[in-house]
Amino acid sequence: MTDHLTVTTRPITGGTVLEFAGRLDAVTSPGALRTIGGLALHRGQRLVLDLTRLDFCDSSGISVLITARSTALAAEAALALVAVPRGLRGMLARTGLDAVFPIYPTLARLEESWVPRP
Amino acid sequence: MRREAGDDLTGRDDEVPRPGTSDPAFSALLEDSAEDLYEHAPCGYLSTLMDGTIAKINTTLLGWLGHHRDDLVGRRRFVDLLTVGGRIYHETHIAPMLGMHGAIGGLALELRRADGSRLPVMVTSVVKTGPDGTAQLVRTTIFDARDRRAYERELLRARQEADRDRERVQKLATTLQRTLLPPRLSTVPGMDVAAYYHPASADEVGGDFYDLFPLAGGTWGFFLGDVSGKGAPAAAITSLTRYTLRAAAASDPDPITVLRVLNTVLHHEYNGTDPRFCTVLYGVLTPTADGCAIEMATGGHPPAALLRADGGAEFVDIPGGQLVGALPDAHFAGTRVRMSPGDTIMLYTDGLTEARTRGRVRHNEEELLEFLATVGPTTATGAVAAVTGLLRRFGEGVDDDTALLALSLPVGTARP
Repeated sequence: MTDHLTVTTRPITGGTVLEFAGRLDAVTSPGALRTIGGLALHRGQRLVLDLTRLDFCDSSGISVLITARSTALAAEAALALVAVPRGLRGMLARTGLDAVFPIYPTLARLEESWVPRP
Repeated sequence: MRREAGDDLTGRDDEVPRPGTSDPAFSALLEDSAEDLYEHAPCGYLSTLMDGTIAKINTTLLGWLGHHRDDLVGRRRFVDLLTVGGRIYHETHIAPMLGMHGAIGGLALELRRADGSRLPVMVTSVVKTGPDGTAQLVRTTIFDARDRRAYERELLRARQEADRDRERVQKLATTLQRTLLPPRLSTVPGMDVAAYYHPASADEVGGDFYDLFPLAGGTWGFFLGDVSGKGAPAAAITSLTRYTLRAAAASDPDPITVLRVLNTVLHHEYNGTDPRFCTVLYGVLTPTADGCAIEMATGGHPPAALLRADGGAEFVDIPGGQLVGALPDAHFAGTRVRMSPGDTIMLYTDGLTEARTRGRVRHNEEELLEFLATVGPTTATGAVAAVTGLLRRFGEGVDDDTALLALSLPVGTARP
């Protein structure tokens, strides 16, 4: 298990994918927040957080997810989570956050349901 | 025994080669006599006979010691210049090492000066042997270590100060932690109440909190929760959360209303790019003729456990409550619980906002419930003791704060 976090940014149709690999905790969260703060999101776009390779997420990590959502909402963009690990899924369910984050098992499933805004 | 200083230790001026040079500085250097260098070297020189008698000593060392040459040469031994501790060290360590290896270096000693004061020195000694290999005398070089000792004392002082600072900070953190927790839980007539708090580390103010307090009309408010993050920022939220919950409860004790007030306050306080939030269970306890009724609401907190009088254990599931402070329009959910004599309710935090998303989860809620089922029927005191025992068995594995709050109606405490 890595002790750090790698955030990879890549474009997709109508938005951006941030891929988190490693640990999202008190140590790595500030860097992740800077990356999110530096995104140029536009109205109607989508911000996708790909968590396939996320090993660990604590309350600081939850803050990052919430900030990503606020950032997207402020830009009138949409946020989606992809491949949420089981433990994190349980934590989101318990804290009622599964109701505010659209969650998709895979990027492919996200793409199937993606309807670009006119 | 008096003996004139030999010439073993002085070179001869006329043996120094004199290369032709017109550099006046270099010439001056060559004029420097070995005798003068010996006498006024920036270190002390001392030659002693094998029995320790001082045979030769240079002017530098005499100056440091404040002695006259005649007082020492042929009259005193090297050990006479040492402190009591130094003499013992000489007997047990220095002399044997010299005998065995013919040399010893890097010794930190203190010399006694004529005025009684002490001079910290670094000492190196070498045995000089004659052509037949027999030891003839001991040559000793002595460096003034006052600067070095002062440096070491300074290091020590700085370290002691740092230790004191650290203790002070830890004490402050512990004191602040105590102010964040109730010093003593209120006594609820006819109920057993127990609580436990374990900070993950001594110098970090944790983010777990709980309280139990009287409300109007003979009812009681209680809460237990966990704020996000660690350290001073978490402590600030913990404090705000505790006082907001108490104030909100005094105004309108309805559990969902109380959590809404807290959500508004936290969200206003920490809105922006650094969201701060907490999970919390809040309840109001009303004594009834056959036990008590609890109205409880959750803000994303792990469910309370109910240990029934018949030994059964169940969670008080309240689906739908969101964490507090992160969302402007968070939704909270509530439920009602009836407790009879012999029942115990337990609220807990267990690194709840810390979850390993891969690999082994330390213990999940199902395992906790299975454990609690083996504990009941019990009392608040018994339940807290059992869970703290479990935590102790985790030992080093517990890397987050843990707080417990339990309430029970002891058997045979039917109210009038």
